[in-house]
Amino acid sequence: MTYPIERIRNFCIVAHVDHGKSTLADRMLQRTELIDARTMRAQYLDKMDIERERGITIKAQTARLPYKPLGDAADEYLLNLIDTPGHVDFSYEVSRALNACEGAVLLVDAAQGMQAQTMANLYLALEADLEIIPVLNKIDLPAARPDDVAREVASVIGGDADDVLRISAKTGDGVDAVLDAIVDRVPHPAGDPLGPARGLIFDSVYDAYRGTLVYLRVVDGELKPGSKIRLLATGFEGEIDDLAVYSPEETPIDALGVGEVGMFSAAIKEVSQAKVGDTVTLAGKGARDVEPLPGYREPLPMVFSGLYPVDSDDFPSLRDALDKLRLNDSSFTFEPETSAALGFGFRCGFLGLLHLEIISERLDREFDIPLVSTAPSVRYRVTLEHTTDPETGEPAVVEVANPQQLPAPNEIASIAEPTVDAMVLTPSEYVGPVMQLCEGRRGEMVAMDYLTEGRVELRYRLPLAGIITDFFDQLKSMTRGYASLDYHRGEYVDADLVRVDVLLNGEPVDAFSSIVHRDEAYAFGKQMTEKLKDLIPRQLFDVPVQAAIGSKIIARETIKAKRKDVLAKCYGGDVSRKRKLLEKQKEGKKKMKSVGSVEVPPEAFVSALRTAPARRDG
Amino acid sequence: MGLRVPTDTARRWITDPVESGSAAGFGVYLHVPFCHHRCGYCDFATEAVGGTSSAERRELFGRYVAAVRADLARQVAAGRRAHAPPGDDLDDAWPAVTSVFVGGGTPTLLPPDLIAELLRGVTEELDVAGDVELTVECNPETASDDLMSALADVGVTRLSMGAQSFADHVLAVLERRHTPGAATEAVALARAAGISSVSLDVIYGTPGESDADWEATLAATTAAGVDHVSAYALTVHANTPFGRQVADGALPAPDDDVQRTRFDTARRHLAAAGFEQYEVANWSRGPARRSRHNTLYWRHGDYLGCGVGAHGHLAGRRWWSTRSTPRYLEAVESGRHLGPGPSPAVTGDEVLDDGARAVERLMLGLRLAEGLHPNDTPPVSPLGLEDALGAGLVETACGRFRCTTQGWFLLDDAVSRLLV
Repeated sequence: MTYPIERIRNFCIVAHVDHGKSTLADRMLQRTELIDARTMRAQYLDKMDIERERGITIKAQTARLPYKPLGDAADEYLLNLIDTPGHVDFSYEVSRALNACEGAVLLVDAAQGMQAQTMANLYLALEADLEIIPVLNKIDLPAARPDDVAREVASVIGGDADDVLRISAKTGDGVDAVLDAIVDRVPHPAGDPLGPARGLIFDSVYDAYRGTLVYLRVVDGELKPGSKIRLLATGFEGEIDDLAVYSPEETPIDALGVGEVGMFSAAIKEVSQAKVGDTVTLAGKGARDVEPLPGYREPLPMVFSGLYPVDSDDFPSLRDALDKLRLNDSSFTFEPETSAALGFGFRCGFLGLLHLEIISERLDREFDIPLVSTAPSVRYRVTLEHTTDPETGEPAVVEVANPQQLPAPNEIASIAEPTVDAMVLTPSEYVGPVMQLCEGRRGEMVAMDYLTEGRVELRYRLPLAGIITDFFDQLKSMTRGYASLDYHRGEYVDADLVRVDVLLNGEPVDAFSSIVHRDEAYAFGKQMTEKLKDLIPRQLFDVPVQAAIGSKIIARETIKAKRKDVLAKCYGGDVSRKRKLLEKQKEGKKKMKSVGSVEVPPEAFVSALRTAPARRDG
Repeated sequence: MGLRVPTDTARRWITDPVESGSAAGFGVYLHVPFCHHRCGYCDFATEAVGGTSSAERRELFGRYVAAVRADLARQVAAGRRAHAPPGDDLDDAWPAVTSVFVGGGTPTLLPPDLIAELLRGVTEELDVAGDVELTVECNPETASDDLMSALADVGVTRLSMGAQSFADHVLAVLERRHTPGAATEAVALARAAGISSVSLDVIYGTPGESDADWEATLAATTAAGVDHVSAYALTVHANTPFGRQVADGALPAPDDDVQRTRFDTARRHLAAAGFEQYEVANWSRGPARRSRHNTLYWRHGDYLGCGVGAHGHLAGRRWWSTRSTPRYLEAVESGRHLGPGPSPAVTGDEVLDDGARAVERLMLGLRLAEGLHPNDTPPVSPLGLEDALGAGLVETACGRFRCTTQGWFLLDDAVSRLLV
């Protein structure tokens, strides 16, 4: 059925991970009787395995909820829920999804209060001029402090603490009030139904059979199956094959009108041809005059890492795998590079650390290629000493994302590094340690605000390099998990940086090289050598592990030679077990990377830089 | 077999071994699971009977011995081919038994008449070589004049005594019940009863053991007048109380370097006392005193296994019985099969492909100081061989393929390299 524009509400839910967004969405689906309890599975909208396992949303999903506030069929509204990704790595995607809505449910855990991610997404929602409906979840928990948290929420968004809705998504208590508030308070979409068609792409997903599936919100006009379309930013032209909405399973539809949210396919071979933020319009002469929707941006990778196959024969398969992943994820980049230690591989660019982990995990899970990934690095801008840019006559600037490519010290005039504008929300008792952590990573405080007596918002400008390894783990552990972090790309700032190399058995291992601040180089070298000493198994001979700046050794450890591996008994009952153990060791050995004469386990390349166990928030 | 083609030449190490595999002899292993108490480090199949009355024990032991005999009878009656890998056309008749080993548990918890009964099972079911080696494992606290005489009377030629340590506090950590002196006395009793070969088992690297404790243990071991010593590094198995304590941090994990240092001490001490190290963890006074039965394992030979948790191996097929005493008794007495093969108590088996056989031949054969006869050595990749030779882990010497002194204690590394 089609709905008049006055009866359509497009909304999203802004929430921190674990604050119950997916449970609330599930409950809404049930409440509007789109799915019955039998077919209900937890977190219905999270479709990727990784999403459900980690309890995070990576891709945006939508669901169409027909809702009758008074139970009267004549009084039916169409609520479109756009489920947004929740992680800072994907803030651009979030902002596009928010732009497809008129309202946002701000969902806050009544025990934990506001978190940095929620704040960041809330600011994005306010920027997009959305109607905010504040909701406290988990009020049935014994640890809930709804009055405190309601005050906190009111102080951030303005308004009265009494207006904050209180629900339990788990039990379903209060969910109706949320749906009613959406109907009452979220404005209906506004657009020109007769104007040239314009749709905002807020997500795209690769489908092996139909090509890219494009999720969009129609802003003006109308789209139909068979419509010839053009994507303004990429220039792609094609014809709509399938046009559908999600209720919540995909349901074909004859037309998608103003304000509506849906999906189309048009034999688009790669997701990079249908980028998030791009504008869909009808192809033809008029297309050139159509004004693109504002806010489109090319995704820019921020974090880089080298990916190398453990077995060099896997290089072509790795290339194929990366090609396939890129079909599905246009924000991830790669180009071939070589390393003396690791052979042929790729320098890959990611939006952030979670993005890096997701890609590595998918490579492992979907393609089963044993890989070595090098320590994550950022892209530096190096101003050269003796070379000028032929066009401008200014000193030439090169960008360096791989420490190996850093020019020789006498060639460098200056190095600038990317910074981020970071926001940390923390209970006030941890302000001291958090400040220490930020300053330890060369952070500069920009602002500190008390949201309530107990909660502080700290704003820092931090070098991106300072937060890409274990900053988040440290933050979580020193605040017992209570602090939360959000960051945005900041400016490039000059810094006194040097490259620290690591030598194994006297041979430099390029994959271990890192660019660090001069003041931190000694501590870094010491930490690297100590870690590697533990990470690299003992070999048949003593292996010195050294850190160096240029030719100057700044730290040294020794991996002592292995002296025994078999001194246990072995009789009839032990043979089978012992053989299986050996076969397993042999498999493990296959995964080791031979660096010179030393066998290095692949995880050493990344683990050496961590000071805490790897764990990221969603 | 028909005409020999080159591929058969490559398989000669399996089909025509000189001293390994079926050429190594034929053994029978009989397992007696009973113990007073299950020690924290032990991962053998054991059954603690400390809490039972002597009448209950007598009945359980009698029932168990009868079951092992019945199990052996059934395995023998099925013929040799029924135990071999399917399709193997070897001779169905059993060769003469060259060694019998009664292990545990604590076999000497059984009264002497039941031990005799157990051994009669072998002599009644199978041909036994005239010079058969007949070993019984013994715990010092069970030793007595009567026991030793009885063992000598039924033809036991070799006694393997679990001393483990001569330091009180180390025995306490290992949860052993005997005093350090008991082991020495037990050896003397065995000698007096005329048992010709006596071995002591000792363990090093136990948490709490000092270098001095270990030296004292070695001194007491050689002073006890034995002609064979087995010295093992304490291995912590995950499925034992020790394993759990180490995982919880309640017990320090054995340290590789400490164990290697203790091992070097053992080698020095035992060499000085006239012992020859013939295997990674075993020393004897001359070749005649080596453990023939255990050598059979290292030579990848054939053996039947009867009793709880016992393993058997024949020409590349291995099988094992249930580790539960009640299930073992039930299966053998009822004849209801728990798994594959002729014995009802067998719960699992495996047929080794050429690759698995190669791994076993190497990892077992290279444990022996004399290594492998060239004809018995499986083909190894030239790259792997070059690597292991280059690293100084293996050598060819006196026409044999063996580990270097260095490679002997880095055997896992050596074998992994050879298998590349």
